Amino acid sequence: MSISEQTLAESRELAGRYPKARSGIVPMLHLMQAEVGMVNSDVIEACAEILDISTAEVVAVATFYTMYRMRTEGGEHHIGVCVNTGCGLLGGDALYEALAVKLGVGHNETTPDGKFTLERIECQAACTHAPVLTVDWEFFDHSTIAEAMDVIDRLTAGEEVLPTRGPAVRGWRAAERTVAGLDDGLADEGGGVDELMLAGLKVAKAAESGVDGTVKK
Amino acid sequence: MSTTSHEATGSDTPTVKMITGTIDGTDVTVPEGTMIIRAAELMGVEVPRFCDHPLLDPVAACRACLVEVEGMPKPQPSCAVPLGDGMTVQTQLTSEVADTAQKGVMEFLLINHPLDCPVCDKGGECPLQNQAMSVGRPESRFTGQKREFPKPINVSSEILLDRERCVSCARCTRFAEQIAGDPFIALLERGAQQQVGTGEEPFDSYFSGNTIQICPVGALTSEEYRFRSRPFDLVSVPTTCEHCASGCSMRTDYRHENVMRRQSGDDPEVNEEWNCDKGRFAFPYLQLERLATPLVRENGQLRRASWPEALRIAADGLAAARGRTSVLTGGRLTMEDAYAYARFARVGLGTDDIDLRARAASDEETDFLSGEVAGSCGPVYRELESAPAVLLAALEPEEESPIIYLRLRKAARAGTKVFSLGPFASQGLEKMAGSLVECVPGDLATQLDQLDDETAAALSQPGAVILLGERAATEPGAFAAMSRLVQRTGAEWAWVPRRAGERGAIDAGCLPGLLPGGRPLTDETARQEIASLWGIDPDELPATAGRSLAATVAQIHADAKAASEAGEEEEFSPELAALLVAGVEPDDIPNADQFLTALDSVPFLVSLETRPSEVTARADVVLPVAVVTEKSGAFVTWEGRRRPFGTVMPQPTSFTDAVVLALLSDYMDLATPPREVDDLRTELGNLGAWQGSRVSPADVPAGSAQQPGSGEAVLASWRYLLDLGTMQEGEPHLAGTRKPAVVRISAATAAANGVEAGSRVRVSTDTGAITLPVELTEMAENVVWLPLNSPDSQVLVSLGALPGDTVRLERGDV
Repeated sequence: MSISEQTLAESRELAGRYPKARSGIVPMLHLMQAEVGMVNSDVIEACAEILDISTAEVVAVATFYTMYRMRTEGGEHHIGVCVNTGCGLLGGDALYEALAVKLGVGHNETTPDGKFTLERIECQAACTHAPVLTVDWEFFDHSTIAEAMDVIDRLTAGEEVLPTRGPAVRGWRAAERTVAGLDDGLADEGGGVDELMLAGLKVAKAAESGVDGTVKK
Repeated sequence: MSTTSHEATGSDTPTVKMITGTIDGTDVTVPEGTMIIRAAELMGVEVPRFCDHPLLDPVAACRACLVEVEGMPKPQPSCAVPLGDGMTVQTQLTSEVADTAQKGVMEFLLINHPLDCPVCDKGGECPLQNQAMSVGRPESRFTGQKREFPKPINVSSEILLDRERCVSCARCTRFAEQIAGDPFIALLERGAQQQVGTGEEPFDSYFSGNTIQICPVGALTSEEYRFRSRPFDLVSVPTTCEHCASGCSMRTDYRHENVMRRQSGDDPEVNEEWNCDKGRFAFPYLQLERLATPLVRENGQLRRASWPEALRIAADGLAAARGRTSVLTGGRLTMEDAYAYARFARVGLGTDDIDLRARAASDEETDFLSGEVAGSCGPVYRELESAPAVLLAALEPEEESPIIYLRLRKAARAGTKVFSLGPFASQGLEKMAGSLVECVPGDLATQLDQLDDETAAALSQPGAVILLGERAATEPGAFAAMSRLVQRTGAEWAWVPRRAGERGAIDAGCLPGLLPGGRPLTDETARQEIASLWGIDPDELPATAGRSLAATVAQIHADAKAASEAGEEEEFSPELAALLVAGVEPDDIPNADQFLTALDSVPFLVSLETRPSEVTARADVVLPVAVVTEKSGAFVTWEGRRRPFGTVMPQPTSFTDAVVLALLSDYMDLATPPREVDDLRTELGNLGAWQGSRVSPADVPAGSAQQPGSGEAVLASWRYLLDLGTMQEGEPHLAGTRKPAVVRISAATAAANGVEAGSRVRVSTDTGAITLPVELTEMAENVVWLPLNSPDSQVLVSLGALPGDTVRLERGDV
């Protein structure tokens, strides 16, 4: 089995966080994918064994969610372009096309050097910042084609790349560990909430507030 | 199996709250929690459905059953919404909204469904086909490309899946998870690509065939039946499964005198709507090489003979050995055939040497079966379901009586606590969320006596049940110990044999010292009753209890020894001069070689068989008899429930065992006994229950496990459901789903014997050895388990040992 003792130990710890161990399958698949690069037979069997469920049940979950890679290993960096309605209309479709040409790969494909995996992604709940580009699930808000090309060039050169918010880009596998729910200690890096994100909340609160400014229950 | 068994559960039934709703303008009153679709059925309104199944949890996956519910904004799935008090529901009969919704769903379901009904196995009995007729559009509006998949894929060696036919109702996956407890298939992928599939292991479930039967489309098929027939070309006959003592109701479908398939029957009191794969798929043996004519031995060779010739030779031989003949009936006869043997032995052959057990048995067990089991009744399946606790002793239900397993698993999901006395927690026990009470073979009686307080307290609750398996025969003192435990706890109990014919044969009197109807041979009243029933004088009945199978074999060997010592000039008269053997498989008997040499040396051997066997090969006269599809009769379940069945395919040329015995009686110039099934059943039924004294089992002291020395271990073993049984022959796809044979030992036992994980283990005796891969198992120390009759693991034949014996253990060749 190609999965390290450390990952197995962390997986057991994840399973232990839930009243029923099988609830831990989603983070556990991310964690093992971080090590293996995809969800392969080793991952499926290891998950099934730790959670005491059948491999069919593991595959059912793993194939339902698009963030698990079932067929090929992910590249060093994951490039995501939101192509849902808002982002797509505001430049996401063009951004995706440009990146596809630049990288020479299509949806869910990895460049031959193993550097980049391109994916059309679904809504990242950042429509206020459309179009959204993600690199290893870090946000590049209001992304333009020129900026995206620059990000690719700098990643290719091995330079540090900072997203609009959040910590510096660290590679897809490292990000997968964060997605798995393991504390990377980077929660406060690079800022977070901005005025655009809070605009809607402010409107809602103003509407709920009474004349005296107190919030209605 | 006690007088109070049926009273305890009735009074505990909780009161059900009834509610009244309105469906299509008519009030209907149902128990609270009843789904709308069920309530509608009760009043005769059928709502279309695919995913709904009364024995599966609701899932509302297919949306075919949408109805309009007053106050709800959108149509609701009637299979998953309970009828509420005062709720007003309108089905497609009265609501245009419901009707339109159902038609819309049907149109969606058909978009990706191929139009291959003419080549689909389900065509003609297909819910999708039928409901497309009733609620679908006459013509499709869909002009695009249908979703396609490579087809078919094997989800197991027996079960095939055509994914493009699937409507994602999740019946099969819910069955696998909720009923069988084998979730080896699941809904994979999502959206248009959603499909049923397996993970890393195949769908090797003992109950996998049920998914084919409940699939509402033709997505699941079996290798055995695929492309072999159309439903409307089949003749269907309700039958009872002949494989085990679970007693499943079944339906046998045949065409052109060939059984094409078998399906589970619908019997809520026994198998509900399920059966096991052995019952479903293991029938090709019926059509394998059969004995076509009687055979007689001439100059040492068997040759074909006419019935009159063969009957004459058999009758003369048996008449000459009157009082010195032993009868071995095997455990696979119908109750009526068994009764015919019980009568023929006592009346026709003047012997009480009769034994139905072609397996490990003991005198203690003979007493127990005669005194406690014969003619008894209950507890029943429903009582297992309502029992607060069930103790399994020397019984693995999933392997040895699968419908007990399904019922116990259903019970366990509702709160029944299952305990098992065994060497390790089997997969079946884990799937019943059961608790293991560790017990080394040989130690069962002691463990029953020393049962811990917690388990004993659970068994002391009203309605608790103890199930004792037939393997208890190799556990000294187990029957007496169980009686003590029953006294201590007040639990109900039942004895569970493996073969379908054992309970019926016990009731029919196929044991030494036991006359039909539970009547002891030695009781004067019983002798009077039986003698008057059979039209003979009580003095003509054998005076003392006869020989068991083991005693018969021993006697034949003693006779042979005496004969060789007597020399040639003296005339030697053996104690046993003839054997009459029905369906007995020698490999099932401990010390099979001893049995076979006994068959060789007995002076006269008559075999009634369906197929050539090691017994027929040694017989002086072979008389062919009917297989189960060619006759009617009844099997008796472990509960004591009679399961009568009719003839599937009448064959004028094939005779039941009872008919052949009646013919033999004629040839022996005896009064003709009843030979038709109805007459035999009536005669046995006329006996009624026995109210007199019974055999009181001897108080056998509780045995304890052997203490193995260095390099040794105590043998534990039982049969897998799917193994080398002769009635599973001819169906390789079913054989492909067998569990692999492994040796189980604990890690400590492995370490002590130089065995590592992944290596092989050699288990040996003076007779022989078995070498298999090891599976380190959490289990009792110094115990080794291996399957009793699987490929590469035939314990009785290869080791000549029984569970509880000490065997040698060492690392095998890598």
